[in-house]
Amino acid sequence: MNFIMQVENLFYKVEDKSLLGFNRIEKLILKDISFNLERGSVLGIAGESGSGKTTLAKIIAGILPQSGGKISFNISEARTKLKTSPVQILFQNNGEILNPLRTINGIVEETIYIRTGNKSGVIDEKENIFGSLNFPEELWNRKGYELSGGEQQRAALARIMATRPEILILDEPFSAQDAESQMNLLTLFKKINKDSGTTMICIAHNLKILRKLCGSVLILYRGEIVEQGNTDKILSSPQHPYTRFLLNAENYNLTYEELKTEF
Amino acid sequence: MLKVDINELIINNKKTLLSNIKFVLENNLVYTILGVNGTGKSTLIKSITGLLDKRFYTVAGSVFFDDRDILKMNGEDILELRRDKIKYVFQDAVNSFDHLKPFRYYFERLAKDLKQTDALLDYFLLPPKEELFRLYPYEVSGGMAQRINFVLALLAHPQIIILDEPTSGIDTAISNLFLLKLKEFARSASNAALLVTHDISFAEKVSDRIAFLNNGRLSEFLPVEEFFKAQCYTELEKFLNSYRQISA
Repeated sequence: MNFIMQVENLFYKVEDKSLLGFNRIEKLILKDISFNLERGSVLGIAGESGSGKTTLAKIIAGILPQSGGKISFNISEARTKLKTSPVQILFQNNGEILNPLRTINGIVEETIYIRTGNKSGVIDEKENIFGSLNFPEELWNRKGYELSGGEQQRAALARIMATRPEILILDEPFSAQDAESQMNLLTLFKKINKDSGTTMICIAHNLKILRKLCGSVLILYRGEIVEQGNTDKILSSPQHPYTRFLLNAENYNLTYEELKTEF
Repeated sequence: MLKVDINELIINNKKTLLSNIKFVLENNLVYTILGVNGTGKSTLIKSITGLLDKRFYTVAGSVFFDDRDILKMNGEDILELRRDKIKYVFQDAVNSFDHLKPFRYYFERLAKDLKQTDALLDYFLLPPKEELFRLYPYEVSGGMAQRINFVLALLAHPQIIILDEPTSGIDTAISNLFLLKLKEFARSASNAALLVTHDISFAEKVSDRIAFLNNGRLSEFLPVEEFFKAQCYTELEKFLNSYRQISA
């Protein structure tokens, strides 16, 4: 197996300090997380709000420091020398992230230039990226706030693709989209994975969509992995009661008593 | 109970966004308007109690509630109506609150029964009121703010609750709680609920009647099974097809 990343016994905790620093309470956000990420694969991470999905993504991307455990990457030396990080996250709130003073064109061109340090070839590569993401030419010279939510998401994705990520993390990319846009996004992510071989991690609470995109999946419950493996297998014969709970919740088939269950 | 008859809704005196919108909300039913993003679903529900900015929107038509036309009511009456009879739960839940006022402010003004407050907070897995009342809107997550909004709407004992995309941004277990409570609300007294959403599976499970909004026009409200069988629009077919592909 060719692993691009291995996570071993990862912990993340925060300290809840009450007034004057008495009664320090330690809270574990992630407990003993271990998994391997195969190069070129798409891994899904599912779980409810507050289960630690985004925290895990941020630690992998190096935005948050872990409290314990080890993450090792298997990324070529040439790639690590570049000025852009090999691990990138597509966040949910792209509208707030895109610089309101600059055009999408400018943002993407600059990113390519920072990565290559070379002005020639910038235009060609930019056009390629926009083309592969179906980002129409009339939007290139717009600013972030002049775009709709879906367009902003594509613009942010264009900038990320300009960094040539080795691992692309998608944080709830489908949550605010209608079914038609979800289908378009699915096709797009599959294409990126196939064409550029980018390894992907997709965070979503919607298991139906994960089944369409991800070969394997992790189920997180309160900071712990309760089940992991092949997506189809887990979703067709879930072993952990929490996975069954998530699947039933998705079909809106739970009673109030079931919704109150602790696992 | 509520009779909506909007001939035309125009933006900036130029563009017609909605035309010929006619429907009646009967007691004890949950109504859903389905539609893709950007078709004017939110604008439609805001127009019902005259919430649209009159400088930009012109609404021609009538909305009758208890034999009175809401669109012709004076300011005082309409505020009273929005406080007691018809409550909204908006999509942008955090910004529905004034960020400088703790939740205590809203509960003390809007809740008619403090005992029920405890029960509802517990039902929606929210912190108890001793804790929650001290918090400010910017201290809670979007999903929490949405639940708080819904609790506040229920506590006002309205006759109609209107919800804008109740499931967007919240996970399915919490959506499930919404679904059960919303049905319970609609079934009691002479209540009714209206929601707009693009979440087809939620709509299918919660609704008694569904209609489709497309290109400024609203189809007839049909019972759920009939709605999904009726292939009246190519647009609707396209919309449902994507959904079926995802859930297949």
